[in-house]
Amino acid sequence: MDRRRFLTGSASMIGGALTYATGSKEAVSQSRGETLRALGSGAPNTLDPQSTSGIDRPAQGAIECITDRLVTFGTKTGSNGVDHYDYYNVMPALAESWQYSSGGTSLTFKIRSDATFHDNSPVTAEDVKWCLDRMVSQPSTRGQMKAGSLEKPEQFVVLGAHTLRMDFSRKDNRTLPDLCHPYASIVNAKLAKKHITEKDPWASEWLKNNPAGGGAYKIASWKPGEEVIYVRNDNWKCGPKSAFQRVIYQVVPEAANRRALIERGNADITLDLPPKDVNDLEKASKLQILSVPAINGFEFVAMTTTTKPYDNVKIRQAVASALPYAEMFKAAIFDRGKPLYGGPEGKPTSINWPTAFPYRTDLNRARKLLAEADCPNGFETTFVFDQAQADVGEPASILIQEALGKIGIKVTIEKQPSGEMGSALQSHKIPFYYQRSAAWLNDPVYAFEIFYQGDWRWNLGNLKDAELDKTIEAARFETDNTKYDAMCIRMKEIAFEQVPTIMLWQPFVDVIAQKDIAGYRYMPHRQIDFRTLRRV
Amino acid sequence: MKPSRGWFAAKRIVSAVPLVFGVVAATFLLTRLLPGDPAAFFTNTPGAGAAEIAEVRHNLGLDRSLPEQFVIYLVNLAHGDLGQSLISGQSVAADLMERLPASLELTVIAFVLACAVGLPLGIFAALRPGSIIDHTCRIVSTAGVSTPVFVSGLLLIYVFYYLLGWAPDPVGRLDPYLNAPPHLTGLLIVDGLLAGDLNSTLSSVKQLILPSATMALFALAPLARMMRGSMIAVLGSEFIRTARALGLPRRKIIMTYALRNALLPVITTLGMVFSYMLGANVLVEKVFAWPGIGAYALNALISLDYAPVQGFILLMACLYVVLNLMVDLIYSFIDPRVGLAE
Repeated sequence: MDRRRFLTGSASMIGGALTYATGSKEAVSQSRGETLRALGSGAPNTLDPQSTSGIDRPAQGAIECITDRLVTFGTKTGSNGVDHYDYYNVMPALAESWQYSSGGTSLTFKIRSDATFHDNSPVTAEDVKWCLDRMVSQPSTRGQMKAGSLEKPEQFVVLGAHTLRMDFSRKDNRTLPDLCHPYASIVNAKLAKKHITEKDPWASEWLKNNPAGGGAYKIASWKPGEEVIYVRNDNWKCGPKSAFQRVIYQVVPEAANRRALIERGNADITLDLPPKDVNDLEKASKLQILSVPAINGFEFVAMTTTTKPYDNVKIRQAVASALPYAEMFKAAIFDRGKPLYGGPEGKPTSINWPTAFPYRTDLNRARKLLAEADCPNGFETTFVFDQAQADVGEPASILIQEALGKIGIKVTIEKQPSGEMGSALQSHKIPFYYQRSAAWLNDPVYAFEIFYQGDWRWNLGNLKDAELDKTIEAARFETDNTKYDAMCIRMKEIAFEQVPTIMLWQPFVDVIAQKDIAGYRYMPHRQIDFRTLRRV
Repeated sequence: MKPSRGWFAAKRIVSAVPLVFGVVAATFLLTRLLPGDPAAFFTNTPGAGAAEIAEVRHNLGLDRSLPEQFVIYLVNLAHGDLGQSLISGQSVAADLMERLPASLELTVIAFVLACAVGLPLGIFAALRPGSIIDHTCRIVSTAGVSTPVFVSGLLLIYVFYYLLGWAPDPVGRLDPYLNAPPHLTGLLIVDGLLAGDLNSTLSSVKQLILPSATMALFALAPLARMMRGSMIAVLGSEFIRTARALGLPRRKIIMTYALRNALLPVITTLGMVFSYMLGANVLVEKVFAWPGIGAYALNALISLDYAPVQGFILLMACLYVVLNLMVDLIYSFIDPRVGLAE
């Protein structure tokens, strides 16, 4: 073959390839209407709802769509017109109905008789019982189930093929919401049991990689760390049929690229854009900005009350009076959130939690409090934040350093890797730090139970307050609403006064979508619930 | 007697065993010395207390003594088991095997690109020192080395994807709406061609252009500089002067005598650059959402996930051994004076 003939040959080959490519592109674009392309910064680390080695947020989002729970949250529209889950409205899912006994000590679920798993086998009460047993046994979910009074396998009794009873020592309002979350998802027990080994009585090894649910979506392909492709389960009975036939969820670690993709219209919806980018996009107004303050989350600065000098309540109040709240709010999250500072002083009027703390920047008050604490010239301290939360930690720490410097407190800033900081928090070794957290249950008593007492990491300021502990215990099963409200108000007062944690704000969870995408709603795990989305 | 190349290679591989063992032991110790408790990190849902953490620690085998853990690790290693990754939920061996082809494909293409541009650039710069081409070489290599990879990567994306729209979206190895070709080698271009799937081959080539250009830009500099320096030194040596004096054709002097001699230090640099590119392209992988081994190991390191870090370092150590061996073998081909015996 001479050179010229080779060139013409390869040219026609390339031409052929091009026509081939464009030809099939049309076929592809036809199906694109039925396909949703979603982006996020993280990948699911497991498909097991009760995984023993931790379940990250993307995994919770995936599990939400590929499995069902007995019950599910309803939907409420927020003041800006964006929907969010409604904690106080529990709706049927796998269970078509439920009934409390007259004393509230047992709860009987009627499971849908037409519900099936992805392998078309029916969902039975036996499946549900096995999964509930699993939830109260696995270390990762045990504590969370206990928060809803679900503690022992003996509590779950199979009454028939599609009837199951739960027994309690007393009625707990948290039981039903607790069963709505991804960690309470039901998988195919018949299938999972085949993979039980002596070392692995709950088939964790198998469930980790094998979706065994019956949810609205099936997993078509899963590349860990990279991409999940879902296809709709057309046999789904637990809710209205989803609009998208296929969903591609891709991990794009770089925020700038997520923004570029959504701006150029190559993606339909994206999570995890920094607040600054969201502000830019909002100004450009070519895309939908779906923002909901993280209903169950909050960001805070904590002082460990068992370390010097933060064991002195006056010092804690002084710091809370000196933080440059408004500057931090602007510099760290570009005003994209709901402030939890500068709240009304005096007795709290509502039981809402998280709530705005009655602290504002008032350096004179801070100086006075320092003097009362016999520390008029300030002290030296180290402020720690998590490397993975540097987006807020970095600007916030510098502003805190500057502001506290004005009242004589010399702050050294330290940035720690997540793992290191997590372990140090476990033993309450860090005196002064920034973190963010969220609770699964929106009940105020629950928040106090988790964040303001106990020997665990989640006692954020390691507070030991006898009155608070007693009030929490008394309020736990209080059925009289007036008494309950009074106790919640008292807990808030103690939290304001003792101030082991200084609340900063609830950040907006911003989801950016093309204008033709509708049906988004904020879920407690902050991932996209593909089931309700549609193209308009 | 001159030992054969095969014998030399075998000897080198055997002598690498203590080295690899040393790497295994050192990474094991290093990961354990890192501050932070993986059990606490992975049991990070509110509601998990000390008992739950202790149970997870036991499940992970982290409640055993260090020597015990090390022996278990070695025994597993001997069975080809690199452990389990906690962040991906997969076995490390499977993860690395899945991701190594992605890194290799990117690195090889970027490497070829860097050589194709860098070596001629270095040669021409050496032939005409002080000329425009020499200045170009200097500017390109200075800019390549001094621009961080994530800056050049994002810049290329901004211009070629965001502004001009010529490049496909900078996410992953394939158009997400296309199906990947059947998995044979893991190299998408090769797999696509083998399956006769022109569509996916084209798409994977397009996806490769920006990330490999970014990497090549970075790798270009040492190659061009090394080539230029080495070539200038050789061109000034006496045998070249003799060759010129004897009136040998310029082409023969440059290509046969000068270049062959000048290539020796460049080969060493090539080996180093290649292995460096393979392991250190974390940033390129992050910017282009490329599912390679570098980003994988970095994510694991941040999340206190020991097994992938150890697996990654072990893999890199083995690759370095092989690459060094290859460099030495190539050396012996280019320069017969280089003995293979120790």
